[in-house]
Amino acid sequence: MAVLVIAALILGVFCGQTVLSETAADFIGANSDWVLGLLMFSVGISVGANRDLFRRLRKMDMRVWMVPVGVIAGSLAGGALCGLFLPLGLRESAGIGAGMGWYSLAGVMLTDFCGAEVGAIAFLSNLLRELISFLTIPLAVKYLNPYAAIALAGATSEDTTLPILMRHSSAEMVVYSVINGVLTSAAVPVLLRLLR
Amino acid sequence: MLILAVMAAGVLIGYLWLPEKLKKANTWLQLGCTVALVFCMGVLLGRRENLWEELGQFGLWSLLLAVVPMGMSALLVWGMTGLAERRKRRKERK
Repeated sequence: MAVLVIAALILGVFCGQTVLSETAADFIGANSDWVLGLLMFSVGISVGANRDLFRRLRKMDMRVWMVPVGVIAGSLAGGALCGLFLPLGLRESAGIGAGMGWYSLAGVMLTDFCGAEVGAIAFLSNLLRELISFLTIPLAVKYLNPYAAIALAGATSEDTTLPILMRHSSAEMVVYSVINGVLTSAAVPVLLRLLR
Repeated sequence: MLILAVMAAGVLIGYLWLPEKLKKANTWLQLGCTVALVFCMGVLLGRRENLWEELGQFGLWSLLLAVVPMGMSALLVWGMTGLAERRKRRKERK
């Protein structure tokens, strides 16, 4: 899986730079939401087909709230910690961390608030978070626990990284992932505005 | 929100109707879509005019700003959920 993901990324960058015309690249960029929609539909089918999951849902505990709280606190603290060593400023670094993997929104908002340089770093950094998640989720499930794997994915745990989380943990984790994704995604624009 | 509605429709279909032989096809579909999405992300990245300059200039900072928040989130959640698990087990033993 990881090899496929890396190969797809390299091929995508190569095609974006050389093979594809601007119109074709724009078309792909504009229609990737359809692929995401199909992926979510397919993940939904997997969840629905797992009848045992609905029985387990009733037994959910505090961990369902611990994951988003830990993700938000850890992302902000991690960004702020980087700000102590980088010449970017504490607020800007915390803001980049607060993107939690939502690269499009963090890139655009931080360009508006802090300028093109911080916006570009926010875009790259949050894109890297999503990409690194693809590779590190299996390791986190194995050596830490599935909740920590969800934390790596941040706000992307409800969409792009959800199939990998499900593949390497269990269908039960889908519920934790989606709830974490919804809450952290809702928190991203609020946090970025507060850190402005 | 639309994405969540689409997912909810999938849940309903999976719950009410999904033949056993389609389960494997559904897994392959997920793999295909994930790879396609990463490809799209790559295209998006490749289209940036100053990609290599930006990577050279800000690559290391961006990497640091990705890895440190990820690591701190994972460790915090791991610690909190581990503690909750231990408390739960202790209660069950009593």
